[in-house]
Amino acid sequence: MSAPAQSMKMKICMAGQASVGKTSLIRRYVLDEYEDRYIATLGTKITKKKVTVPDPRGGQPVAVDIIFWDIMGTSTIRELLKEAYYHGAMGIFAVADLTRKETLRALDDWARSIRSVAGNIPTYGVVNKQDLEPDREISADDVDAFFGKRGWPWSYTSAKTGIGVEESFHRLVESVLASRDVVRQSASDGGPPRPS
Amino acid sequence: MTVFQRPDPTLIVLQRLAENAHDVDALFVLAALRVMDGNVPEGLTILDHVLRLDPGYPGAWRFKASLHGRQGETAAEASARRMADDIEP
Repeated sequence: MSAPAQSMKMKICMAGQASVGKTSLIRRYVLDEYEDRYIATLGTKITKKKVTVPDPRGGQPVAVDIIFWDIMGTSTIRELLKEAYYHGAMGIFAVADLTRKETLRALDDWARSIRSVAGNIPTYGVVNKQDLEPDREISADDVDAFFGKRGWPWSYTSAKTGIGVEESFHRLVESVLASRDVVRQSASDGGPPRPS
Repeated sequence: MTVFQRPDPTLIVLQRLAENAHDVDALFVLAALRVMDGNVPEGLTILDHVLRLDPGYPGAWRFKASLHGRQGETAAEASARRMADDIEP
């Protein structure tokens, strides 16, 4: 890939219930490490990573400074802190846990909260902990139906083994880059897309 | 069905603060918990303490702005919002 002709900062918000693996997925993606011990995130952790990806318009590569906002998975204070956390977000990485059915349904509330602040930004769903397949509590059909109904691209991941992690983050980055074009196009047609 | 019970945030906060009284993550969440209990002034006091310890703490300036807004303190709200725009990662 040739040298990037453009660069941008991209704020990505992690979404999902406590203990679905948000922090572990970032750790795997950024450091290629995994920590088996569960430490609840308190407040927010910021992690940065530089990537260079092809411009979806087929032009020059784009250097992207991704800024991950890893937000504590406590829904009770989510509404209070939503402006503080989600202002300026450009993409949502929505994480469910294969072994806990309720974590999939909960993604609607997380996405709604983020979009109420940041607008109708791209969302990428993952069903994490694929390594725990014997303990699966969400059927493949349910996963397909959930994400299909919302129009969110998705995949399975395992922060523990690394399966699917890098590809999933890259797909969200590409969606955000592609959505910039949609916004530009819409703006010229009379305004950007409104939050849903 | 797998039942996961996340520990009560208040308990986690108190535990972290017992280990380190200057734990900004714990203090930030403590500020939010005080506000949820209806005590906005105490929440703001704790938040100001967070910002003295770490002026770049993610989300803290914007949270402060929203709390001042709730209190009708428009000048303080605008000032905090400017800081958020300047500082936030």
